Amino acid sequence: MSARPLRLRLVLRDVGAGAAFASMAVSGQLPLWTLGLFGLALALALLGKRVFARRAKLTAVLLLGVAAVLALQVMSGAMNMVVAACAFAGLIAAHRMLSQPDATADGQTNLAGLLMVAGGAALSGDMVYGACLIGFGVLSSLALALGVVEGAVPEGEPVPVRGVLRPLSSGLAFAVAGAVAFFVLFPRLNWTVVGPRSAPGLGAATAGFSDTVRLGGAGTIKGNPRVVLRATLTPDPGLDALGAYWVGRTYDTFDGQEWTSVGAPQKSGESIILRPGSETLVHQRVELLPAYGGRTLVALEMPARLGNALVHTSLGTRRTVVQRLGGGEVRFVESGISYTYEAYSLPPNAEEGSTGKLSRAEHDQLLALPEGLDARVAPLAAKVLDGEREPLAAARKLAAWLQREYGYTLELSGEVADPVADFLFTRKAGHCEHFATALTLLLRTQGISARLATGFFGGERVDGAYLVRAGDAHAWTHVLVPGRGFVTVDATPPAHRPTQSSAFVQRLLALYEALESRWRNSVVDYSFRDQVDAARALVRPPRGSEERTPSRLPPLRAWVTAALVAAVVYRAWRALSRWKRRARPMEATRFVDAVEARLAQGGPPRRQGEALEEFSARLAREGHPLTPALTPLTRRYLEARFGDRPLVTGEAARLLESLNRALEADAARRRAP
Amino acid sequence: MERIAAQLGRAVQGKPTQVQDVVTCLVAGGHLLLEDVPGVGKTTLAEALARACALSFARIQFTADLLPADILGAQVFHAPTATFTFRPGPLFRQLVLADELNRAPPRTQSALLEAMAQGQVSMDGNTLPLPAPFTVVATQNPVDFSGTYPLPDSQLDRFLMRLSLGPPAPDVEARLLSTRGAHAPLDAVEAVSGPEEVSALRAHAAGLRLDDAVAEYVVRLAVATREHGDIERGASTRAVLALGAAARARATWEARDFVTPGDVRALLVPCWAHRVLLRSAVQGVSARDEAAHLLEEIARKVPAPR
Repeated sequence: MSARPLRLRLVLRDVGAGAAFASMAVSGQLPLWTLGLFGLALALALLGKRVFARRAKLTAVLLLGVAAVLALQVMSGAMNMVVAACAFAGLIAAHRMLSQPDATADGQTNLAGLLMVAGGAALSGDMVYGACLIGFGVLSSLALALGVVEGAVPEGEPVPVRGVLRPLSSGLAFAVAGAVAFFVLFPRLNWTVVGPRSAPGLGAATAGFSDTVRLGGAGTIKGNPRVVLRATLTPDPGLDALGAYWVGRTYDTFDGQEWTSVGAPQKSGESIILRPGSETLVHQRVELLPAYGGRTLVALEMPARLGNALVHTSLGTRRTVVQRLGGGEVRFVESGISYTYEAYSLPPNAEEGSTGKLSRAEHDQLLALPEGLDARVAPLAAKVLDGEREPLAAARKLAAWLQREYGYTLELSGEVADPVADFLFTRKAGHCEHFATALTLLLRTQGISARLATGFFGGERVDGAYLVRAGDAHAWTHVLVPGRGFVTVDATPPAHRPTQSSAFVQRLLALYEALESRWRNSVVDYSFRDQVDAARALVRPPRGSEERTPSRLPPLRAWVTAALVAAVVYRAWRALSRWKRRARPMEATRFVDAVEARLAQGGPPRRQGEALEEFSARLAREGHPLTPALTPLTRRYLEARFGDRPLVTGEAARLLESLNRALEADAARRRAP
Repeated sequence: MERIAAQLGRAVQGKPTQVQDVVTCLVAGGHLLLEDVPGVGKTTLAEALARACALSFARIQFTADLLPADILGAQVFHAPTATFTFRPGPLFRQLVLADELNRAPPRTQSALLEAMAQGQVSMDGNTLPLPAPFTVVATQNPVDFSGTYPLPDSQLDRFLMRLSLGPPAPDVEARLLSTRGAHAPLDAVEAVSGPEEVSALRAHAAGLRLDDAVAEYVVRLAVATREHGDIERGASTRAVLALGAAARARATWEARDFVTPGDVRALLVPCWAHRVLLRSAVQGVSARDEAAHLLEEIARKVPAPR
């Protein structure tokens, strides 16, 4: 190795190690201080400041300290074993990067990189991990190859970087293409990776739809533009902004702080019927994305039937059953990364809304008021209603009044004893849950049955499907209208219902979510079944496309596929036969290697640089006793190597055997006198 | 070929390798440059070659006042018919011995060299083909340079091979002394072949198989001469082709129908030593020796295909 290592190689090596570390870091499970340490080390290494170069052994003691800290955290249960091992591998790599850049340090850095990539596979398996893995592979291969070339170039001469990188890059491109082909074509087997897999991507959204509704709390709710749901509707309304209510569940019991429902879990099955359907149901094919983070099925108001569900887990995709819980909630029994299912809902503005099946207890709860409700609430409601008794008209009057008189804020009020009174009489501002709770309770004080519904409001059309974002989470009121069933009334000011975030961030996130979903479908969840489907799609037209002219001939698609396969087979056969033709001289070369090795053991001395051909000719001129064995052997070798008359099977062994006999006879002759 | 070589061996004794190379050069269809001090049998060798192959032979002694017309021939006025007729010069033979080529002025040299390169002669607007198989054997004295016109590199390049015979071994010389008086050595040479057979041999040799690996080896040798520090100008493309042709001809010696790297190595010095231009200023024999030495070094360094 020359005295000054190639700077480009070190940069490639260090950035490669950085990619390997990033493959673990994207899981978000590594402790923050290891991220900081590694980042610092990488920056120093890239600047060429190898601060541990002089005292590699002494500074390695630092690693012991780090190991002790990690071990303590593991033992105290604060950290997973796998995570600790990954973090330690990253810090070893960091230490090696800052050491004297010799061959040993190179090898150790690359080895640590491999460990980190393996750790990353255990911690996460999402798209960013895949990118980091490829980055590590490419960069480290380049660095390794440059290292080999650097070692071979005599000292003082320039390393032919350009000449090396070009064939290497094409080789790497070929390797990556080959890996993709292998991935796509090799029969897939399912396996499970032991380790704490995080949910892919950015994880579940932190703000949005949740299991309970609790008023109060401190802080500010942030509008979150991550997509939680994607749905295709039939019939498609064709609106850019759907502005519809997507209901998740309803609540009937309020204790002054928190909404719950009295309904008990009911049966589970492939599909759940919530209410009798009509003839014009809206069909929805819904995909719940990882950002959703829950297990509750969501459907357009009012859902009639839900089911036909698939759960996507890290082990693959399978059918799953759903269970009906209280409050009209339908849940997946299994938890997974994402779900797809079908739902049928009553069309919007359906006049014949239905109550669905409500138990006696649930029915009674629709008028229940929490104990200790502020005494001012009922008179306030009576004052606003001003004698209006018809439920729907009363609810709309109250909603309009709330929208007019109260302000909207995402800032939480903090823990207060009575959030409803705080909203109605003190702050006079709140978010959707405050508005919906207030309306429900105001109605109940006047003897009108009502309940709280939560879910999402919105639906933005992208590529023929409607997207719902985490920030679209919403709460509203269901008013029971005799003869019509529940009718939706929303007390929240309309301007504040949809997501509040910039269009640019929304677009960026939509792009990421689309990529992520494609990655999950075509890489993580890519299964044997997908392979069979893809192979079938090549031959048969996709399902649903009507065959217009029934004929006995296979479709065009099958012809094209057959032609492609034939072309590939032909090219492979050509390459193979070329390779075989080239393999023959190699066989002759192996043969001559064996002959020369044998001659070196016990043959007559050879001059320096003398090829077998010249050696054999010289022995023949000198009349050496080996000539009768060596001359035909040399002749056959030359014919096989340069004369296009390859050795037949077993011929090499036979010729070698005759050479052995001749050499032994020669040795015996020399011993005899 | 064996027969031709055997006949040559009768005339020039004790030089089996050189004799073999001379026949190789003839079969390869190239011209030969014999470089040596006087009196070692250069002329005898050339004449014996002509006799053994039954080729028409002419010997031209090159001198400082030799003109192109002296070797090419001239238009002669024929009085009875009052026309000019062409009387061919000594060049119109199948084997031409150009003795002491470097003594002639460049004009004459180049007339000969054009004939060597093209196999034809252009005179007064007429192009006259030379008899096939046309071969020139030139000799030159590399020691005595006084009153000579050294051949330029471009013209040296036209010779397929350059050989030197060297003095014969003492016992061979002694045998010469004892037998030479009785009869001329050339009388012992019998015609064992003919021009047609030589042409057929040439065609056969040209069709031999040269494996890609061997071809690549030749090219790598050429590249090595071009990149060598002590060589001003390395082997030309013509040199590469010449070495290939010579190696093919050599393969026929062992009744092979393919060329081996050994063929290439054996002919590397005869084919290329006169074609490379050295950086050092030495001339003549020492230059040839130096070039041969460098070429052998290159042959050792460039790995042969195995």
